[in-house]
Amino acid sequence: MKQPISKSIIRVDSRAKLRGEAQYVSDWEFENMLYARTFRSTKAKAKILSIEIPDIPEGYFIVDKNDVPGVNRMRTVVSDHPLFAEDNVQYIGQPILLVVGPDREGIDSIYSQIKPEYQEETPLLTLEEAEKHSKVFTDYNYKKEDPEKAFANAHRIIEDSFSTGYQEHVYLEPQGIAAEFKDDTLFVYGSMQCPFYVEGALMDAMDMPKEKIRVVQTVTGGAFGGKEEFPSLNGCHVAIAAKKTGHPVSMIYDRDEDILCSTKRHPSKVRFKAALDENDDLVGLDIDVLLNAGAYNGLSPVVLQRAIFSATNVYHIKNLNVRGRNYMTNVLPSGAYRGFGAPQTIFAIEMLFYNIAKKLGVDPLEYKMRHLLKQADSTCTGGCVREEVKMPEIIEKIVKSSDYYNKLKNNKKYQGIGISLFLHGCGFTGKGESVINGKIELIKNKDIVTFKVSSVEMGQGAETVLRKIVAETLEIPIEKVIYETVDTGKVPDSGPTVASRTTMIVGGLLQKTAMQMKERWDDLENLELTNNYKQPKYLSWDDENFRGDCYPVHSWGANVAEVEIDPVTYELTVKKLHAVFDVGVPIDERALIGQMEGGVVQGVGWATIEVMGSDLGRLKQANLTDYKIPTSMDVPEIDCDFVLNPYEFGPFGAKCAGELSFVGSPPAVAAAVAHAMGKAINHLPITPEVLMEMDNED
Amino acid sequence: MKIDFTLNNKEISIDVDANRRLLDLLRDDFGMKSVKEGCGEGECGACVVLVNGRSMNSCMLPAGAIIGKSVVTLEGFKHTERYKAIESGFLKAGSVQCGFCTPGFVISTESLLNENPHPTDDEIKEALSGNLCRCTGYNMIVKGVRLAIEMGEGLW
Amino acid sequence: MVDGIRPKSLKKALEILSEQQFTIMASGTDLMVQRARGFALAPEFEKPLLFIEHLSELKKIYIENDEIHIGACAILTDIMHSEIIPPVLKDIIGQMASPPTRNMATLAGNICNASPAGDSLPYLYAVDAKIVLQSSDEKRTMHVSEFITAAKKTVLKANELVTDIIIPNKVYSHNVYRRLGQRKGMSLTKASLLGMADIEEGKIIDIRIALGAVSAIIARSKEIEESLKNKKTEDLKTDVAEILAKYDPLIKPIDDARSTAKYRKKVSLNLIKDFLENLN
Repeated sequence: MKQPISKSIIRVDSRAKLRGEAQYVSDWEFENMLYARTFRSTKAKAKILSIEIPDIPEGYFIVDKNDVPGVNRMRTVVSDHPLFAEDNVQYIGQPILLVVGPDREGIDSIYSQIKPEYQEETPLLTLEEAEKHSKVFTDYNYKKEDPEKAFANAHRIIEDSFSTGYQEHVYLEPQGIAAEFKDDTLFVYGSMQCPFYVEGALMDAMDMPKEKIRVVQTVTGGAFGGKEEFPSLNGCHVAIAAKKTGHPVSMIYDRDEDILCSTKRHPSKVRFKAALDENDDLVGLDIDVLLNAGAYNGLSPVVLQRAIFSATNVYHIKNLNVRGRNYMTNVLPSGAYRGFGAPQTIFAIEMLFYNIAKKLGVDPLEYKMRHLLKQADSTCTGGCVREEVKMPEIIEKIVKSSDYYNKLKNNKKYQGIGISLFLHGCGFTGKGESVINGKIELIKNKDIVTFKVSSVEMGQGAETVLRKIVAETLEIPIEKVIYETVDTGKVPDSGPTVASRTTMIVGGLLQKTAMQMKERWDDLENLELTNNYKQPKYLSWDDENFRGDCYPVHSWGANVAEVEIDPVTYELTVKKLHAVFDVGVPIDERALIGQMEGGVVQGVGWATIEVMGSDLGRLKQANLTDYKIPTSMDVPEIDCDFVLNPYEFGPFGAKCAGELSFVGSPPAVAAAVAHAMGKAINHLPITPEVLMEMDNED
Repeated sequence: MKIDFTLNNKEISIDVDANRRLLDLLRDDFGMKSVKEGCGEGECGACVVLVNGRSMNSCMLPAGAIIGKSVVTLEGFKHTERYKAIESGFLKAGSVQCGFCTPGFVISTESLLNENPHPTDDEIKEALSGNLCRCTGYNMIVKGVRLAIEMGEGLW
Repeated sequence: MVDGIRPKSLKKALEILSEQQFTIMASGTDLMVQRARGFALAPEFEKPLLFIEHLSELKKIYIENDEIHIGACAILTDIMHSEIIPPVLKDIIGQMASPPTRNMATLAGNICNASPAGDSLPYLYAVDAKIVLQSSDEKRTMHVSEFITAAKKTVLKANELVTDIIIPNKVYSHNVYRRLGQRKGMSLTKASLLGMADIEEGKIIDIRIALGAVSAIIARSKEIEESLKNKKTEDLKTDVAEILAKYDPLIKPIDDARSTAKYRKKVSLNLIKDFLENLN
């Protein structure tokens, strides 16, 4: 039954955006504003011997490592990325210095006369090379039960490996940021997901106290993880420039610069060794996950964590040995991207199950269902699946609505149907939520209620969803609920806008606080309440040994893809997509479907047309002419449905959704192509070039 | 170069470099910030404006090529009945997420309906194929155009 | 500062061109991107710009002596909507770039850009289109393959403008156009085939095959086409391997950011095979 909260409303931010009145940072103008442009490395690995700078006209400035008041490192999980290159560069696109001035032409003229002298060194360019040279940034390992014994007693051992490529976010608004000093307070304005990450980075870089820094999020034109850690880098750049020049400084990237230097989804390789018992059940898995982190580690360790904790997906595998490594290469740093490591490993294990089932001559879906996690099962890290697992209901629904089995019987070559099963752990991994200790404020002023959070609207609908949660809880009209501008000087740190945590964690905290407010509603004209997030008591996590509950709860889903391949040209057409999700309870069904369809399509893009390679450390697809994302003509009808499964600690029963939308379509498409071609699909993206080779290889 | 043109039905006469992009002219000289730069190479459609009633990529159009033409941006178009129908359709269908691509989609929708008031879904998809959106997956935008056609019956 | 001139007439434009060197600018869809310099910066040009898109003399589409004349500055959208344009050319134009770009771009621009991936070129080569060039004191007409001498190179002189593109007023009985891009929406062409034929009573009367993006310019062989004339379509299936062997050496694609040489070659041959085998 549909819950009242799920009833859709008009998104509160959409009217201004439609009218072109929403102010993105590139639309902001400041008095006496200067522009900045970043001079970047053109070498994959080199020592900087010298940099020849032309005469700088009055009013123009060069800003580099010598101008950093504090630490010349960007603060993140591993703070290893220099804000400005020191004596060496480690990737093409690495920032070396800024040219700052009042006129873009003037900047361009200076820029074109800067002549660095490099001494080139031999770079490590690929994951394979990095593995050979053991350039490991991070090496994780966890075990469950007794994998050695499982392999020793195995009836059959199957090995397989999978790989995936880069993906560029292509948020429509390129990275942009601006900074100014008002008296001695630093203001940074920009397109970002995590204002408090930027604040932290500024404290280190500027050697300034928190009280003197305000980070203000501007209307953000899409992010998908691409504006998670990156604004901490360009945010420090403009702040340092504003300090040096005494002027407001704005730095807007154009698309080519954005693609050149902003983070990408980690390319991956996943190797499996599977132990099957006498019933051909998968009882042991050895999983080896390799990610290409690029030149600096940054937040790659946490991406790797989610990758290895998602590596068994929705399956209950008794014995496990899981290793994960981040490798250093001289290519731009990889970073956060919707799914955060999970899409790579979930694709891999979905196709592993497919390939094993094919080898055994059994139906892949049936084989998967034999291994499904159930309530009270132990997770890969020995935690407990506490929620009711509605996968059987999800599968029944999607099999029926897509007519899966009838279409599967169609053995026409070049036509295929495929199914994927998947989950996503909601919120931060492990102790993340306790560390962040997210805080919110709710303020009643007569009949107006203002809430203060650091969770941003970046297109995903957070403003609408959070306002709706407060309004519904207080039973007041949504117009009476105000979402305070996300400005670190005004709002508490409710955590970054990442990890599909906004609705469930921050929304949950808002609901809880609103309920407290409701109890006292009639007693007081004005009331201010704050609350900090507390992990549900049932959770336990050992960060040293990766034991326990890595996530408080999961969202679940299944996707079905129908594909057709042109036998003459090998062009792949996704004809229809079906999706069923358990996200607890939809807070706003239309807004949710918008998220889900968008994520599904991004996943299809990654799986099919989004090719990004590098050659000698330089991206081969470095602009939108060469790097293609789906257009309206590339998208099929998407049939999107939900099963209700309220979560006790989520607002109105809601769990996570944003990233869940992405993980299912790549393996569904891959399985459909495998069905169509009668061949295993072990690599993404699946291009016509790959299909042509595959079809002609025997 | 002396450039005479009309901008949102106002006659304009300026002296600017002939090679300036219409995009920059509109944003920097006239404050028409609804026109967005998403790629600068005609790939994304965020900068699309109406020139003599048709959608064009303003990032590729040099100032010298707009002499004598009528340029309309959302700043002007948003006051029309047609805009209101498009707005209603897009609001109702949930066509807007991050919003950066949205002005371009509105303009492309107007350009389509101006030429073909009763398009099929495939024609809508084709007409919007020069506008990239990374948030919605497009189907809700196509639905927004459909609803706009219904609500704006007779306007095109 | 780059200045521009917007002449009032074609005559005036040619006069100006005879006196000074210009970069000729129609709507800018190629040049403005090729010369782009980044966010909020104007593209750079060494020479002043001569704007010609508005010239009414260059926008006409008409039939004369059973030939279709397309003005150099006729806009792709207008060509596509013109009743006198052969359906296959409309189909080709309908797949070029995106609607807003087609609302600006001209056919002459696509030709003068002289890219092997230029989408109008397979058709223009296949129908032996003529290009009319004019200067203030000369008018010359030549075959498109004489006009384009190499990738990105044409014989256009500094004092000349392309004024017309002339194609036969002819519709073939069989037409196939297949364009492969990285996706279905706007993308540059990684390989394409244009096949046209007249078939009467199961016999090939006329046949044209042109391939895009797989050679220095456009791959077409009149010799092979000649050898196919008078063939019975029912014999094509048995002869196809032999015909493909003749096409093979003409197809010399490259690896680039958008595809591989191997794919382009294989698929181009597949497309020819598919075209021939489906003629009946």
